[in-house]
Amino acid sequence: MKNLKYILMATVLLLLYSCKEEYYLYNDIKRIQFGPDITRIYTPSYNLADTLKSYTFFYESTAKQQDTLFFDIYAIGGISNTDRSFKLEQVAVPGAENAVAGKHYKAFNDASLTSKYVIKSGAVHAKVPVVMLRDATLKTTTVTLKFQIAQNENFSTGEPTNLGRKAVFTDRLSQPPSWDNSATLYYFGKYSVVKHNFFIEQTGQKWDNDFILAIRPDYALLTYWRGVVKVALVNYNLQNPGKPLTDEFGEIVVIP
Amino acid sequence: MKNKYLYIILIAGVLSSCFKDKGNYVYTEHEEITVTGIAASYDKISLVDRITIDPVVTSNKPGAEFKYWWGLYETSVQGAVPKVDTLLRTKAIDYLVVQPAKGWVLVFGAKNIKTGYTKIVTSNINVITQFTRGWYVAKTEAGKTDLDLYLTPTSAIPGGKMENVFSMVNGKKLNGKAHTLRFYQDYKALTGTSFLNTRSLFVVTDEDASVVNIGTIKEIRDFNTLFYNAPAVKKPDIVTNGSAAFYFINNGKLHSIYNMSANSGQFGVQQMVNEYNADYKLSKFFYSAGFYDPYFFDELSSSFYSAGGASLQLTSVNSSATSKMPAKNNNKRLLYMGFKTTAQTFAVFQDKTNQNLKILSTITPSVSAMVILNDTLAASEKLYSATMHTLFNGDENMMYFVVGNQVWSRNLSNRFEQLQYTVPVDETISFIRHLKYAVSADLAFNYNYVAIASKKGDSYNIRMFTKTSGNLNPIPAFTITGKGEAGDVMYISPSVSGSTYPNTL
Repeated sequence: MKNLKYILMATVLLLLYSCKEEYYLYNDIKRIQFGPDITRIYTPSYNLADTLKSYTFFYESTAKQQDTLFFDIYAIGGISNTDRSFKLEQVAVPGAENAVAGKHYKAFNDASLTSKYVIKSGAVHAKVPVVMLRDATLKTTTVTLKFQIAQNENFSTGEPTNLGRKAVFTDRLSQPPSWDNSATLYYFGKYSVVKHNFFIEQTGQKWDNDFILAIRPDYALLTYWRGVVKVALVNYNLQNPGKPLTDEFGEIVVIP
Repeated sequence: MKNKYLYIILIAGVLSSCFKDKGNYVYTEHEEITVTGIAASYDKISLVDRITIDPVVTSNKPGAEFKYWWGLYETSVQGAVPKVDTLLRTKAIDYLVVQPAKGWVLVFGAKNIKTGYTKIVTSNINVITQFTRGWYVAKTEAGKTDLDLYLTPTSAIPGGKMENVFSMVNGKKLNGKAHTLRFYQDYKALTGTSFLNTRSLFVVTDEDASVVNIGTIKEIRDFNTLFYNAPAVKKPDIVTNGSAAFYFINNGKLHSIYNMSANSGQFGVQQMVNEYNADYKLSKFFYSAGFYDPYFFDELSSSFYSAGGASLQLTSVNSSATSKMPAKNNNKRLLYMGFKTTAQTFAVFQDKTNQNLKILSTITPSVSAMVILNDTLAASEKLYSATMHTLFNGDENMMYFVVGNQVWSRNLSNRFEQLQYTVPVDETISFIRHLKYAVSADLAFNYNYVAIASKKGDSYNIRMFTKTSGNLNPIPAFTITGKGEAGDVMYISPSVSGSTYPNTL
């Protein structure tokens, strides 16, 4: 009976407490965190967008020896009259082929980049460049560059879920980010380099991220391109009896 | 233990204290604003007619002072959000209609500025042009196809004529012999920067095809741009629709547009007949009831197929255990199949091995269990020798057919055959159709005709007969006459949609 009394009292206290709404004001200290593209900052479903970006040098001419990916970063706690630098640092990913500074990407403390990692005066948003280098090893490997915000004299860190970003890049044909789980399940099937190459050969299209992003919103157009590669695959297998198109994993190439 | 109840009451009290009292304790009479003088709908000719209305606005609240606004928005919009364009902020409106031909909604708002209460009244505006009502005839002269338009100002009986309107607007004719007209209100055409539902007419010949905006007859797409990748052989057979898609058979091969999502009005890749991409050739005769996928017949395998709009492969059709003939590999040639009702239709088959064997079949369409019931035709029966056919759309259980220059009927319930009409000996029958327009919103123009089109020298006649108990009345209600050979005829009005007529022959 005593226990029941205490439980009920505790419940009452909890209920009273639950009526109170709590806010995180972020006006105590200046913080910084990554976020979606600036056009999406008020769209909650995009809060965790762009956490991973992929890239391949595969489609570029050999003259192109470096390229840049951009991420969006936001200062919290108001603007400042002066430029405010922020600090990034690489985080090793266990089991992955981690990118090497100076070899696969320009280090975050590279002199040519320090002026880029800045929130300009009067602003709360900046584009964060990650400069990838076309090292010869990328012809045979895909590297991962995971990085996160480090606290410095200007900023403390923001929301824990938005402190890091990841770039995965190579010089081989690679799975475009838009060939995602949904595209795998409904449109193109499991990704393989063999399948990707087949699509490119049969259609003359790059089937890179831009191409897939361009066709996906138009279901009729998407169905058309899916039909082109599916018919081509059927015809290929008919022309090669007993030797259906097989990917690098030893699996027969299938388009749903 | 007694305290338990006390605590429960306390909890209930705490919980209820979290709710805000949103009760309405105002007991004064609601304001009623009354607007009169605005009709439920108006027909207006674009760039000619004006919307001229001066409504009467009253309120049951004394001393009401109103401010007004008029707006207009588009109906039947897919792929974009329609927005209300504000036209005026006065009580009376006198506005020249400049919108393209289709359905619009006029909105009138009256706000009592003393109370803040607003009354909204809407009215349908059917924007029309000279091209949006009348009989269209697809006709061929010297291997080129054009459209003649027979204007119908007061009823379905023509009261004027515009010849060659396709070439007049587009500066060209279509190649080949006309055979099909189809109308859809939801074909997607580029409007500004978006592809929106557009009231469109397909004109199809045996060598070419075009889709035009019915408000202007301006070509939206020609044969080459109707496809993402135009087929190498230009040999259009049919255009039709189903529950969720448009279909185009060219050279016996099926292409489709899934129309329940945004699209650019272009037909996709040729659908495969099976997983081995075998050859196939779909008949020009098919069955489409509009609200499910159509049924096609492959002349090579003598098999029925259906097809989804977003599919890449035709759907195999299976027979019911009660079917007297298999839906697959039945060794038959399809001589005719049309539309009777949404549940049942009829077809005429000829055996490929024994070509003397012809069958009239009753078909209950179903992808999983198609039922085909057969009635063998004797060589002495007129239907045995028929070259053209038509079924009555939902009317008497009869089939009309052509033998030489005669039009016969066959009662499908008792096999009774009867001569209905003989065209003059110097005329050759081009086609027969049952044409029925039964739209309650357009009663003055409703009709029910059997059309018999014939060619006489270098001109065409289309005789429109009414019927009584399935038999043609002796004199046609009217006859359309023009130059060339007629391939198809269709009545268009602002009330016609893609489901007004059967899409089959």
